Amino acid sequence: MELLPQALVDGIMLGAIYIIIAIAFSLVYGVMHVIDFAVGEWIMLGAFGGYYLFQWTRIEPLLLLPAVFVVFAAIGYPLQPLIHRVLSGRRGNPLLMGLVFTFGLSLMFRGLAQTFFGFYSLSIPSRFSNGSFFFQNGGLSVTISSVRLTGLVYALVITGILNYLLKHTDFGLGVRALAQNRDAAGLMGVNNKRTSAYVYAIYVGISAMTGVLIGMILSLSAKMGPDYTTFAFFVVVLAGMGYLAGVPAAAFLLGIIQSFFLIYLDPGYTLLAVFVLLYTILLVSPRGLFGKGV
Amino acid sequence: MNVLEVQGISASYEDTRVLWDISFTVKKGRLVALLGANGAGKTTTLKSICGLVRSFAGSVRYNGQVISGLPVHKVVEMGITLVPEGRQLFPKMTVEENLLAGSYLKKAKGKRKENLDRAYAVFPRLAERRTQMAETLSGGEQQMVAIGRGLMQSPDLIMFDEPSLGLSPLLVEEVFRVVRALHDQGLTIFLVEQNVRQAMKIADYCYVMENGRIVQEGSGRDLESDPKVREAYLGY
Repeated sequence: MELLPQALVDGIMLGAIYIIIAIAFSLVYGVMHVIDFAVGEWIMLGAFGGYYLFQWTRIEPLLLLPAVFVVFAAIGYPLQPLIHRVLSGRRGNPLLMGLVFTFGLSLMFRGLAQTFFGFYSLSIPSRFSNGSFFFQNGGLSVTISSVRLTGLVYALVITGILNYLLKHTDFGLGVRALAQNRDAAGLMGVNNKRTSAYVYAIYVGISAMTGVLIGMILSLSAKMGPDYTTFAFFVVVLAGMGYLAGVPAAAFLLGIIQSFFLIYLDPGYTLLAVFVLLYTILLVSPRGLFGKGV
Repeated sequence: MNVLEVQGISASYEDTRVLWDISFTVKKGRLVALLGANGAGKTTTLKSICGLVRSFAGSVRYNGQVISGLPVHKVVEMGITLVPEGRQLFPKMTVEENLLAGSYLKKAKGKRKENLDRAYAVFPRLAERRTQMAETLSGGEQQMVAIGRGLMQSPDLIMFDEPSLGLSPLLVEEVFRVVRALHDQGLTIFLVEQNVRQAMKIADYCYVMENGRIVQEGSGRDLESDPKVREAYLGY
């Protein structure tokens, strides 16, 4: 019982990171209508990118985040036209084609990563890794590690930036127009191809940065990708496909489940619990926790 | 001077031919109407002008420049605005955001404030509903937003696709009044309508379309006295 507040706090801070993963993932789905199976691999590649960049420069990894973003956005940008080609044209069932294509990408990335980076679990050392804050109230105590707190701040900052970008800039207006009605967006002069490429670049960049954070808070390995792909799916589907306002609740729930299994049970059963819960909730409410998805 | 010059365009969806050799012109400052029943190919004609549908033959010129084959955002950049059939608003945006989306184009951005005031002046109802989500509006209000959004683009040529479709008689009057007022201000207008009677009244020149072909043309008065048109579209 005395560990309960700790499990909750840890879970919420982990959940904040999942919010970022899920928002970027939803953005790509909304604009490009692609369910990107490679999301976890972008996180993994980003984590390794941050790891090696740190080894090379010895600069505090948090300060390397912008560099990681730029590098990965530059990788994502030219990739979008490829995905677009797979989806359009005379092939049937674009949704399935997108799934298969990104699934292929994810297999390729994971294979290459295991070849080049090996199978070991690593972590990215940050000067925040050691510090922590300790709170006590009667018999209950909570320790907040500063690296997890950093994750929470990161999530707030990225959410703030994305919100500003989407709600208060013309680029964001174009993105939302494209997501809500593609033909009408074209009639407003929105360049579908270019805007989609920017969105994909931003998504890859954000996923990669998030990978660095995960590498700091938890760990990184060449085979971590599928777990995070699953988590992204879990959050987005539970929130209700396309219902962004539902994302935080679903993400916090996932974080809390994960930290409960870490503290009380065997972390190996986390995925099982996640799926059982997802199944049960979707059985009761097929359009997500709030019934507002598509 | 010809603003829009369509020459022999033909188009098909998959294996079904929908347009046969469509030709017409719209002169500067004129209000030209394309009339016809449901399924005649009017919307496809508009879409192939804008680049939303690819025609496989013929050409579209805008101010003398060939625009067929350009992607839709390029066509729009040149000054052509389409107010599409069924409004095609952005459902999860407010009325004002929908209007602002109209000024996404670089050339319209500078006139954003001015055009917004103009749109609200034309449709005072929209000013009252600025912060309301587009999906919660009535059909008539949605049509007002669609027209207002088109005006936000500072168009040189504005094309309306069935602006009166599905509206109450009172709102139909209102829409035609606005179209005519825009015409009076000197805007070049291409109006596509099923409401033949009303459209003929305000148009300078009309084309009649049947089964993917243009079958007749003339001024509104000429067509009104044509027995075939009277029988088919006016019912007397």
